[in-house]
Amino acid sequence: MTVSEHGGNASPPASQWLRWLHNLEDGLLALMLFAMVLLASSQVIMRNFLDSGFSWGDPLLRLLVLWLGLMGAMVATRLDRHITVDALLRVLTPGLQRGSRIVTKLATALVCALLAWHSARLVALDYEYHDVLFADVPAWVGDLILPFAFSVMTLRLVFQAVMEFRGRS
Amino acid sequence: MIASSLILIGLALLGMPLFAVIAAGALYGFHTEEIDLAAVVIEIKRLASIPVLLAIPLFTFAGYLLGESNAPKRLVRVTHAFLGWFPGGLAVVAIMACALFTAFTGASGVTIVALGALLYPALKEAHYPNNFNLGLITSSGSLGILFAPSLPLILYGVVTQQLSLEQPISIDDLFLAGIFPGLLMLAVLTAYSVVVRKRSGGAAVNAPISIRECGRAVREAIWELPFPFLLLGSIYSGLLAVSEAAALTVVYVFIVEVFVYREIPLRELARVTRESMVMVGGILIILGVSLASTNYIIDIELPMRLFEAIREHIDSRWAFLALLNLFLLGVGMMLDIFSALVILVPLLVPVAMSYGIHPVHLGILFLANMQLGYFTPPVGLNLFIASYRFERPILELYRATLPFFFLLLGTVLIITYWPELSLFLLH
Repeated sequence: MTVSEHGGNASPPASQWLRWLHNLEDGLLALMLFAMVLLASSQVIMRNFLDSGFSWGDPLLRLLVLWLGLMGAMVATRLDRHITVDALLRVLTPGLQRGSRIVTKLATALVCALLAWHSARLVALDYEYHDVLFADVPAWVGDLILPFAFSVMTLRLVFQAVMEFRGRS
Repeated sequence: MIASSLILIGLALLGMPLFAVIAAGALYGFHTEEIDLAAVVIEIKRLASIPVLLAIPLFTFAGYLLGESNAPKRLVRVTHAFLGWFPGGLAVVAIMACALFTAFTGASGVTIVALGALLYPALKEAHYPNNFNLGLITSSGSLGILFAPSLPLILYGVVTQQLSLEQPISIDDLFLAGIFPGLLMLAVLTAYSVVVRKRSGGAAVNAPISIRECGRAVREAIWELPFPFLLLGSIYSGLLAVSEAAALTVVYVFIVEVFVYREIPLRELARVTRESMVMVGGILIILGVSLASTNYIIDIELPMRLFEAIREHIDSRWAFLALLNLFLLGVGMMLDIFSALVILVPLLVPVAMSYGIHPVHLGILFLANMQLGYFTPPVGLNLFIASYRFERPILELYRATLPFFFLLLGTVLIITYWPELSLFLLH
């Protein structure tokens, strides 16, 4: 990444730390997917062949869809791989392309920041009302991924916009 | 409202991620309606209350695993062994293999990359005209999205179910409705291939069928062959729900590709997992924020207003369908299929139903149109993927895909104006 180009002497440890964090993120994502596959397939087998199954299995699977989706979106932000329309972007000059990247990244960061703030409020509300998700898991725990993912995405987008801006000078 | 919509469209065209564009629209809409913005987040959270969504990460992961292994090679070998002997046989192999592969992996350009690399040189070697090869591979890259268990079909069902229609539609209905329109497309392309083969006089190169090669090809793919039949059988017979079938699919594909064929080493597995989940994250976050925007546009009765505006100019169903064809063709060039689904379907379904169009039929014609958009010049996505992949200039691809475009446009028109083709299996 561009980190090492700008950070001077202090950068190798910083970029190493970042790489470690990214690996952790990828690892968690994979772990979640494998948990989902195992739980989903054992639910199918238990339900269809043994007439049983975990009562918390299906709600947990649905929750995993949300977590996996948001973690996937975090990684997509990191790799700059969200679904976009880029028909217009292709015909712009390199300077204008960079400008529009900065503008759209900051606009996206603003949206993510708003979503992060209101998800944090939601978590606080769920905490206050002691809602229960399934088994004994309180609802606010299931919601935690929302403020977390949107905050991380905000930070990443601001960071990318700054990098883009600095790359110009 | 109009000014803010224009700003958002402008930002989208400049490359702002679509999920952020839709989320901004929803936030703005809820704000003007004086609804607490936490409601937007509550809508996104509904990703955790739609059971069938489980199928999306599972099928996507299975598709990426298949694409990464040598399964495409074995698929081509088996179909070639059995179909290669008749005139145009190899082209038919390409069509069938692409359709099957796309149905299982979702149309996202994966088919061109995974199968095109095998089929393009093979067609060339068998002396098919070069333009025909390019056109066939490029247009087949989106073939098959009308067949179960394709993700676009599932997603259309999910989005439509959020609209709480009077006559709810099921994903199983969509799976049934897609069969004959999909087969029609395959039949037209097959017929064209035979004609081209005969005309180019390549019949002499066709190898006779070899029982031995058939046996070898089957033995090589023995672990994968029963699987599509089991999967489709269990879905169409109603034995398993879509998400259940998806769970078993992943387990089966994983065991076969990673442990039996051992074609995906552990290090690659980490990368494939991440790649597939980036795709899933991209789709799910768009779906999540669109649950919020859908809620808003239904709240302000936008579909009804849209319908009344259109009705002032167009009162026949057929004229509306013609307009819809044109519109969707344009959209299909600009937007990928998943974004188009979540953005347009909530608007289109109520309007189309007011014109007496069945929502299942609308789904099939919507996807058929979008499929065409993938290789509609000048900006269809698969044209660029093929141009990059086969290192041919984009203009050559425009020319090469043109006959295929008009042939499939013909089928799209038939699908659009002959609703029974989609619907008769439902009755």
